[in-house]
Amino acid sequence: MKFVCLNCETYMSFERVEKPAEGSLGVFFACPACDVKVSMVTNPGETQMVSSLGVQLGGRTVDPSPLEMTRGTLKEDVGAPAAAGSMADYLNDKIHAGQSASPAPGATAKEGESGGCPFSAMVTQMGLTSGEASTGTQPAALQWSPDAQERLGKLPSFVQPMVKGSVETYARKNGYTTVTLQVMDDSKNSSNGLNWSPEAEQRLSNIPDFIQPMARKEIERLAQERGATTISAELMDEAKEKFMKFM
Amino acid sequence: MEKDLKSILGKLQYTDDAKVVQQITQQTRQVQDRMSGIKHKIVVMSGKGGVGKSMTTVNLALALGRQGHRVGIIDVDLNGPCVPRMMGILGKGLEVTPDGARPPEGPYGIKVASMDFLLNETAPVRWKGPMDLSPVWLGLMEMNVIREFLADILWGDLDYLLADLPPGAAADKPPVIAGFLPDLAGAVVVTTPSEVASNVVQKSIGYATELGITVLGVVENMGQYRCPSCGVENELFEGNTEGMCEALNLPLLGRIPFDRNFAKTFDKGTPLLDGEYPTNRRYTDIVGRIQSILDYKRVLAENL
Repeated sequence: MKFVCLNCETYMSFERVEKPAEGSLGVFFACPACDVKVSMVTNPGETQMVSSLGVQLGGRTVDPSPLEMTRGTLKEDVGAPAAAGSMADYLNDKIHAGQSASPAPGATAKEGESGGCPFSAMVTQMGLTSGEASTGTQPAALQWSPDAQERLGKLPSFVQPMVKGSVETYARKNGYTTVTLQVMDDSKNSSNGLNWSPEAEQRLSNIPDFIQPMARKEIERLAQERGATTISAELMDEAKEKFMKFM
Repeated sequence: MEKDLKSILGKLQYTDDAKVVQQITQQTRQVQDRMSGIKHKIVVMSGKGGVGKSMTTVNLALALGRQGHRVGIIDVDLNGPCVPRMMGILGKGLEVTPDGARPPEGPYGIKVASMDFLLNETAPVRWKGPMDLSPVWLGLMEMNVIREFLADILWGDLDYLLADLPPGAAADKPPVIAGFLPDLAGAVVVTTPSEVASNVVQKSIGYATELGITVLGVVENMGQYRCPSCGVENELFEGNTEGMCEALNLPLLGRIPFDRNFAKTFDKGTPLLDGEYPTNRRYTDIVGRIQSILDYKRVLAENL
């Protein structure tokens, strides 16, 4: 954080830190040109946030000790109750001079306005509200052959939407109007738009099955680096040679 | 005339005279220095509570220890630490030296860092900060506790460091760990076969992948129940972890039964260490698969 002296059009320099009250820091800055001084006073939350960084403003004069921040911030008196409401008190006492921070009666936002609640405004902005009509065009529905539908149905119910979406994305990308077993297999085996030759698939099956997913990704990455669209036997040779270098 | 801040700032050179950036850079460097002696760093995560992450972490560490590897565990479950009890070292403490904090060692010399070592036995974690404002600072605080555990513990040279992530940590802890450990080997994901658990776990896998964390595979915990009398195993939940792994294109590293006799030894702080015990053999198999995955380039060179 910096302060700018608008008169001199320069950054103010950090001078020192004081602790004017419990849970508060006073950070002093001075303009190097006109010597005007300001002090930024933090509330307890901001003070704790700085403390949680494990840093000392202005730099350290002694090296930190091991687990300094953790040990220094754990409550020694573990049975003491939390100081509930201290922030509200702080705000009322220091900022509102005793006036309640609650909004005045009748000051609630009008229905439909998002400005009253930052969260609803955020949700609206992100387009996450339910029931809102999508502005995008809906893709055409794909047909599923009975056997493909049956295979999908055998998967755990909670993964079915993800698999269905992934297969249909592949099918649309490749111009299919019906999802068949072959399309399902191809979508699984042809990630990143790459095709695996039967010989390459056969060689991949020599790898222990729990390593195959990682092997597939690595080989496809190599294919993409080479600009290949098909994983061929030659590419598998190249991959093997590459991996031999790590032995 | 009102000053244009943008044009003023455009002419100025920013200097870090409060030295905050400098100190944070130094902290990160210290983590990297301390971690440089550790060959493989792995997180054990789930996203769902109660699936047995700590039990899995501890037993993977013990299986690695049985193989003669040098192992450490960082118990990132700051608010519900249980690794020390399971390892039989509850009540021990961190020895603070000028070079760092020396961690207690469990079976096979496994080093453990945990909040439990900084608390009284039944005390919850309580911080000094204003709790009504904890949303402002608590996440930052926990991030820096993890940072101190990584940077200030005298880990020495290790073959494996396992991090036991807390439940529901899908949102914040994985990016923190991944940020501190750019050479993180990957994540082992623990689930039970119940659909509720698998559904949540699936989300955390997707999130980890988005963060660039390699998911090494899935451990199905408590899939079966091993009868304490006759040793016969039966299904405990109805679910399909294998199907989930197939759909997510991830390896199923192994299935661990719910084994009351076995679990009891960890609850009592006297972990069952016999490598020939059936459940321990399962963990050894899982460790073998993890090692093969970490060493996949050699496996590919030999088998492709």
